[in-house]
Amino acid sequence: MDCYAGVDIGSMAIKAVLVDENEQVLGRELCATGSRFNENAEGALGDLVERAGVRRQDVRHLVATGYGRRIFTAANETVSEITANAVGACGDQKNPTGVRTVINLGGQDTKVISIDQRGQVLKFKMNDKCAAGTGRFLDMTAMTMGISLEEMGASHREGGEPRLAINSTCTVFAESEITSLLADGKSREDVITAVHLAIARRISRLVGEVVLADKVLFDGGPALNQGLVRGMREVLRRELVVAPAPQFTTAYGAALLARRRAGESGGRGQ
Amino acid sequence: MSTETAGHAAEAERLLDAVEHDFPDNPAGMRPFYELYRRIYCEGQPRRGSGPLIGVTCVQVPEELIRALGATPLRLCGGSYSQAQKGAEQLPARTCSLIASTVGMLADKGPPLGGRDLALMVSPTTCQSKSKAMQLAEGMGYPVHVLEVPQSNESEVAREYFHASVWRLVARLEKATGRRLGVRQLDEAIRKVNSARAQFRRLKELRAGLGPVLLGKDALLVSQAYLLEDLDEWTAAVSRLNDELEQRRPTALEQRWGHAPRILLAGSPPVFPNLKVPLLIERLGGLIVADEVCTSDRLLNDAVAYAEPHLEDMVPALADRSLRPNTCPFYARNTERIRRLLEQAQKMKVDGVIYQTFSGCQIYELEQRAVERALTEKEIPMLALETDYSPDDLGQLTTRIETFLDIATHRPRS
Repeated sequence: MDCYAGVDIGSMAIKAVLVDENEQVLGRELCATGSRFNENAEGALGDLVERAGVRRQDVRHLVATGYGRRIFTAANETVSEITANAVGACGDQKNPTGVRTVINLGGQDTKVISIDQRGQVLKFKMNDKCAAGTGRFLDMTAMTMGISLEEMGASHREGGEPRLAINSTCTVFAESEITSLLADGKSREDVITAVHLAIARRISRLVGEVVLADKVLFDGGPALNQGLVRGMREVLRRELVVAPAPQFTTAYGAALLARRRAGESGGRGQ
Repeated sequence: MSTETAGHAAEAERLLDAVEHDFPDNPAGMRPFYELYRRIYCEGQPRRGSGPLIGVTCVQVPEELIRALGATPLRLCGGSYSQAQKGAEQLPARTCSLIASTVGMLADKGPPLGGRDLALMVSPTTCQSKSKAMQLAEGMGYPVHVLEVPQSNESEVAREYFHASVWRLVARLEKATGRRLGVRQLDEAIRKVNSARAQFRRLKELRAGLGPVLLGKDALLVSQAYLLEDLDEWTAAVSRLNDELEQRRPTALEQRWGHAPRILLAGSPPVFPNLKVPLLIERLGGLIVADEVCTSDRLLNDAVAYAEPHLEDMVPALADRSLRPNTCPFYARNTERIRRLLEQAQKMKVDGVIYQTFSGCQIYELEQRAVERALTEKEIPMLALETDYSPDDLGQLTTRIETFLDIATHRPRS
């Protein structure tokens, strides 16, 4: 059976998605990026293919995206993770949900992408060099507090003024802020809530001149954190929809592009 | 050879190797330029030119005065990351790389100074960091002349102020060179500079045509060589390059950049060997067709006109050329910059503008939003990048530029 793969090599995790000719998902695979991008990406793809019950040579076209995309030698082509994310956000039909803004929180990047009705990127904003307020920041916070990411999500508290404020989203400074709040006897829930709101506020500042549409799609691994989602809804005041399997949206977009571009170049048509 | 020297020579070497070998179909007319950079930056030779060497730190200096006095101008702006690391030791943390690099270069007389002494350094007051850096240079023993520039270039008062300031510069240059400014020499210098600039505009015309005539990475090397090469040599080399470009069919360029999005480069100036952003744009499939940076278009676009061959006409005319059409964001109100940028974007059929700001270069950062708004109104997309000379943001820059080129490609063309 012909199939098409998208592999997203991010700073923390490699995500791989396989689709068939009708753009339906055959499987998803995730593993840690580690230091050997190429081997690990090939490994993730191998597992994916095996679990989907197809053969490696059935993969007709492979599109790599993400930070490590250029190192993946098996890829037929590469696209930027922003383009892939936009395509993935729109899914197999071209943007049926009417989403016009996508917020992606990754391991070291935060992106706000504005797209048109066809899923074409119009404008985007991305954080600068430092990983403040990204997925890495959530990880560090969980580690500092000695809890899991799931616990963090469940510990978010809505309302209940006055609330704590964490001013820094720099992982180094925030860590000491968190430590001093906890030393001050503040509850874990209050501190975690403050962390979520700090990330949400940072994203809302990043949005800047990219106009937020009424309906916003939220993806990337941290979108699985329900507490963060609630914090984002509160700060952004928009209808915030979490993408299905949000950590795979970009890889899914790459897989869709693999299908569409194979169609174009192979002359097979849609 | 100290480690710093080795560091910047290696940087220059890497850049030139990339420019020459990673891209296809370089015109033969580019060879003298590549060789020039190798001589000055890799081998550490001083630049060619007669008489005493006068350093300039900004396009605001009327270079014709220097040439008319038998001296040679040299751009002192640094583009090397190794030199920037050295300079940073003497400067606050958030100082722009260009300034840090200049200070580092002056500290060990590295390229493009090539170990030579400067008879004078002319430092216009167009950038606070540069002014402070020149104070550091004074501390190192360099003779510095501060060229006072008004912060607005609109009023008659500003104009008179700058005229007086340029007359003071004349006096200081005469002292530094031991010569008197003569009408005949100044007339000759102005004519030569005008004909050099005419060649630059001819190259611009060629690049305005559809199809890739010359990649931006080469065009930027051509314009930056202007203050590194003997003036007549430079003009002749650009003229030969233009002749070649008029004739040739660059098939390999056509193949890779034939349908490329046409990009205008704006913002903080690329200075050799820091061509990080321009090179990345073209590696990723964009084609730089124009710029508004002060190491290129802002320096070379305008010509001087005067009515009578008297110093009292010529010197003010030179001052006017440096003041009036200058679109540096240093000036308080800068509607002219936006007007010219839009005009260029239209003339050069630009699909998108990439605006780079070096971290710590506040004036470019401050004007970025106004520029973006003006472009958005004309439906020209713009990408703003904050960067510096270090190589560690290459991954992030790649993602941004790649996505932006995608946007520029798909934008509806009128």
